[in-house]
Formats: sequence, C-alpha cells, structure tokens
Amino acid sequence: MTRTTEFLMFFAAQILETIGMWRIFVKCGKRGWLSVIPLFRQYYLGVCAGRDGEGRMLALLEAGVDASIVSCILFEVGSLQYMVASFFFLLVMIPYTIFRIRVCFVLCDAFGRNRFWVVPWIVFDWLCALIWGLIPSFKTAEGYPFDEEEAAPELSGLEVDLDAPGLSINITRRTAMSFLKRKVLLRDIHLNIPMGHMVLLLGGSGSGKTTFLNAVTGYEKAKAVITLGDSDVYKQYNSMKYDIGFVPQQDLVRGSDTVYRTLSDAARLRLPADYTIDKRRNRINDVLDTFGLTPVKSSLVDKLSGGQRKRLSIAMEYISDPTLFILDEPDSGLDGVMARSLFEKLRSIANTGKIVIVITHTPDRVADLFDDVIVVAKDAMRTGRLAYYGNTIDAYEFFGKRSMEEILMSVNRKEEGGEGRADDFVRKYSALKAGGMA
Amino acid sequence: MDTYVKHTGRVSQTFIYLGKLFRMFIFRNDWKALPMAAFISGLVSFVVGKKMNVSMEGTLRGAFAFSCICIWNGFFNSIQVICRERHIIKREHRSGLHMTSYVFAHMIYQAFLCSCQAAITITVMVLAKVKMPSMGYVTDPIVDMFFTMFLITYAADMIALFISSFVKTTTTAMTVVPFLLIFQLIFSGGFFSLTGNAYKLSYLTVSKWGLTSLCAQGEYNSLPMTSLWTSMSKMRSMEIEGQKPVDELLDYITASKRKDELMLECGSNNQDKRYESSAENVLKCWRNLGIFIALFAFLSVVMLEFIDYDRR
Repeated sequence: MTRTTEFLMFFAAQILETIGMWRIFVKCGKRGWLSVIPLFRQYYLGVCAGRDGEGRMLALLEAGVDASIVSCILFEVGSLQYMVASFFFLLVMIPYTIFRIRVCFVLCDAFGRNRFWVVPWIVFDWLCALIWGLIPSFKTAEGYPFDEEEAAPELSGLEVDLDAPGLSINITRRTAMSFLKRKVLLRDIHLNIPMGHMVLLLGGSGSGKTTFLNAVTGYEKAKAVITLGDSDVYKQYNSMKYDIGFVPQQDLVRGSDTVYRTLSDAARLRLPADYTIDKRRNRINDVLDTFGLTPVKSSLVDKLSGGQRKRLSIAMEYISDPTLFILDEPDSGLDGVMARSLFEKLRSIANTGKIVIVITHTPDRVADLFDDVIVVAKDAMRTGRLAYYGNTIDAYEFFGKRSMEEILMSVNRKEEGGEGRADDFVRKYSALKAGGMA
Repeated sequence: MDTYVKHTGRVSQTFIYLGKLFRMFIFRNDWKALPMAAFISGLVSFVVGKKMNVSMEGTLRGAFAFSCICIWNGFFNSIQVICRERHIIKREHRSGLHMTSYVFAHMIYQAFLCSCQAAITITVMVLAKVKMPSMGYVTDPIVDMFFTMFLITYAADMIALFISSFVKTTTTAMTVVPFLLIFQLIFSGGFFSLTGNAYKLSYLTVSKWGLTSLCAQGEYNSLPMTSLWTSMSKMRSMEIEGQKPVDELLDYITASKRKDELMLECGSNNQDKRYESSAENVLKCWRNLGIFIALFAFLSVVMLEFIDYDRR
C-alpha cells in the first residue's frame, strides 16, 4: 500500500466519521458542525454521553493520535522521525482506547443500545458513527439528557449603589473556562455591607463561598464591580492590597521561623516603608497581644498548636490593619471555646469600624456575634446565587428556621442531604429586594 | 486610601527573604545538604579518585563522576524549595511580594549553599589524596577547580529551582528529578558516544560543560592512555603459530622501560579536541554554565509571575 493510499484512507475515515458525528450531535441536541473540528468532535462525543471530563481527555488524546498517524504517513519507514512517531502513537493509543471505551459505554446508555456496541465503536469508529448518525432508529433514549435540571431562577439585576459607604459588591457573574466549556460559578450577587459590620457567609459545600470571597478580594476576578469606600477593588488593587486582609482556609505560614520573625517579616512586607523601627515593633507587639501570641513569640511555628497557628495566620493579615478583613473557615480544627474566643476577637476588630466577613461551618456557636448573614446557594444550574443577605435575626424569619444550620440544610441540594429549596429562596429574596427597592 | 503609600521595595524584600532562607538553613535542617555533599564526594573519591588526573580514562571517569555529584547536589538543594511553599508565595505575591526579589534571595542563598558544597567536595578530594591539576588556566588550580564545581552545582541548582517554580507539588518535583538526572548523564557526551542530533543535545546539558572544564583543567590531552596496555596485557597468552607475540612485545617494552612512553604516545594519538587544556576552553565552559544559571533564574521569575493564575 502506497503512502498516498494510506493517507487517502485515513482522510476518508475522518470524513465519514465527521458526517456520522454531525448527525449524532444533532440527535443529542448539540450543534452538528462541531464534528468538523477533530478536537471538538471527541469532546462533544463525551458531552453527548454525559461525560465531559472523559470527552476532554479523549479530545487531547485524539490530537496526539492524529498527529502521530500523520507523522507516520509523512516520514519514511525506518527513519528516526518515523520511529519517534510510532513510539508516541503506541504511548497515546493505550489511554485513548481506555477513554474511548469509557465514553462509548455511556453513549450506548444514552442511545438505549447494548453495550456490546463498544467493540465496533473502538475498531471501526467511522462506520459506527455513520450507522448511529444516519439510521433514524438510532436515537437517544427516553429521558435523555438524564441529568437535565429544571430552569434556574431568573436574574434579579438589582445592583446596589456603588457610592454607598462600606463594601459594595455587584457581581454579574464569575465564570471559569474548563477546556471548551464555560462554567458559571457565581451569578447575580449584589449587596452592600456597611462599615463596622461582621458578616457570616453561609453556604453548602461547593456553593461558591470561597469563589465569592476570592471574587470580592480580586484574588480570582469576576465580571463585577467591587468598591470599598470610594475605591474600586479591581481597578485600584495595587494601592488597596494592604487594605484588604484575606485569611485562606489553610495556614500559610512557614514552620521553620519563629512567631515573632514571621510577624516581623509580614510587617516589613505590608506596612508602609516610612514606618520607623519602633513604630513597627509596637505594631507587632500589639498584634501579638491581640491574638494572645506573646507567650509563644519565640517559638518555632512548627511547635505551635492548631489554634495558635490559626491565630498567627490571622495576625499576619491583620498586621497591616486592613479595612476589609475576610476569613475563610478560621475556626477549622478549633474546639468550641477557642473558636468562640477567636470570633470574639474578630467582633472586637469589627467594632473598630472594620468590615469582617467570615466563612464557618459551625455558625450556631457564634451566631450572636454576627450582624448580618450572606447565604450563597447552588441553583438548578449549579451556579452560586444569593439566597439571602441581611440581619441574622431576620434570616431566621426569612427561611422559617431556628438555627443557621437549619438554614443551611434548607438550601442544600437533596443529594447532599438538604431540602433542595435553594431556587425558592433565591426567587423569594429577589422578590423581597425588588419589593423593597420599589 | 487614594493616596499612594510607598511599601517595601525589591532590595528590602530580597533581604527579608534572604533572612528567612538562612533561618531555614538553621531550623529546617537545610544544613544537612553539606554533610551529604561530603559523604558523596568521599565515596566517589574512594572509587574513582586514584586515577583522576593520572590517566586519560581515569580523568574522564573521575570528571564525569564529580560533575555528576555536583549536579546531584544542585538538584536536591532546590528541587522542593518553591513548590513546597507555593500557596504561601501566592498569598505573599498578592500582598506585594516581588518575584524578582524572591528568586534573587534564593539565588544568593543557593550560591552560598553551592559554594559550601563545592568547597567541601574539594576538601574531601584533597584529603582522599586525589591528584589535583598542576596548573591553573584562569587562576590558581584549586580555585579553578572550585569555581568549576561551584558553577556545575549552581547551574543544576537553578534548573531545579525552575522546575520547582512551575510544578505544583513536591511529589511531582521529585518525580521529575530522575528524568533530569538521566538526561544529564546520558547526554554529557563523556561515556556514551553521541553523534548527530544527540550530540547537539549534549550542548544543553550542564554535565557536558562541567565535564569538559574538569577534563581541560586535568590536562586530559597530555595524559597517558592506559586502556591499550591493559587490553594487551589481557591478551598475553594469545598464541599465533606456536608463539606468543603479544607477550613478547610487552616484555620487550617493559624491559626497555618504554611502557610510559607507549602509553603517552597512545594518549597523544587519542587526544580529544573538546578537552583542550586552555584558558579559552575553561572560560567557554564557565560562560556556558553561567548562561544556564542566568537563563533558568530568569525563567523561574517568569513562571512565578503567573502564580496568581493557580487554582485551588
């Protein structure tokens, strides 16, 4: 067989597969033309089967397989390039076949066909694509797509006044590109937090709490306008970064340094350059006192208890005396007494006119310390939405519950053990705000 | 909030991080890299040291082994240093850390570590009575040797620093190390004869330039070649038509005290232009190692500038 014949056969198989896939995509409610692009073809085959992740991997492997086949055809048999291409082909064919099997298995379910079809799909994919695509009796099974959700609540679009004092948050949406698909992580979150308020951020796992905080601080930007006082957090971040303290979930401290040195380095990095040594030392000592770290200031961070490490993490952020102080689960790993004591410290910080926003998974033991609560919940499209923002006392009435954990249960999805009423509350809150605004 | 407030600049930040790194040296057992260097160089000196700078084969083998331990030291000095604190750096970057300061602090600290390791290696070589080069081509012979070993270690160190700046976990970093080492060993051009594209690849290895510099300083091309004599000695008993010509020839050469002359002659016929003993050649190797250092340090900064794009 000549090289030209090999190439023509490969090309013909690609064309036939494209035609078949075009029709399969149409049957699955996708755009048929996506099958023209080889990379998209494999990915959307995965999407049709309801396996985006596998489809993504398959697309990458397909690119490798095609590149190595074309190289094998182009280069002379026995040449170094041919050998490398053959080796590469062998290398990618193994995972490619595995992922192909995974996708085809689920595709058979989607089309209500026997799983034995996987074998011909692996050997003669172009032929199967033609059969499944062109023969009318090959159609998607009843109830396809199996994971379709009901419509998500409509957008409120009720933006808050950016000139209001405090922290104004207007998040239109926060998206993330995952291979060829754009996923909306947060949408339509508008609120204003006055200065001196301590706010609880409530939401189930994966509801987008941390994404929300990252969007507010500009850590991971969203399509949003966030203002703190007169300043735009996104546009003026460089001048504001020392005014925003963000304590993430994990303790970001180096174990081999002493507590004092850790804090001293943080102070040198974050405090203005014109701070005198005495002024800086006083600030460090004040913060050590505030967080009860003075007795262990000479200890290595590695030797600290969980609570002390957490307080050190917070102290490092607090050293620059930020106006907006955000903490992601600062009480994780702390017992009730220590957690309470920590939150009381945060309350005292808020009382000095700062804004403190806190995520915690055990809100009821400290609920009385908060002024407001933000409830973020996943809607039907699994996008983080604002289900409530307001006074903690009013929140109980709004949700018809007696504790924060009950509120959380009501917005959590059913498969997570919750009541799955997130969409109801998103709509109710939008209506409430619209009524209030009107 | 609108008024611009000046914060710590790059120079001050470099000193802050330099302080952190030296405290790590004391408290996090980073100092253990030094006795490890002594142990490895002791082992290598014991195995290949006696023939180094004595014969062509011994010099090549010794130079290869010593450049390998320098690369080993360099890789393990910094392969984990950035990736193990990646989350911390990301947060600090958001709080005003300049990546140039961070990498420069690492460069200074690693230079200290590498120079200590190079000094320890040479001290161990002297103690193990490894023959040192008789003349220096750029400075003093020992200083030349130190500088070469320092540059090999430091260049490998910067490559590892670069790897550490873009991998996300220490596990990934440690998985990459064996591949890097194998690449350096195979493509050094010392032991495996490389031709064509494979030879061109050797230009991209620290081991090639380190090996070349050590061989050049050891006057590789002026040394006797012993492999022919050793091979012929093994063939002494070979008989041709009832006679033992090899045995007779070797006896004659030994009796006429021309063994050394033969080995030198053998060496002069097998000179390798790459290992030419000259200041230019040594300086060229140093320059190329310097390019590795600068390039990978720069690439580390570039990689770290993208740290904000890290996802959870």
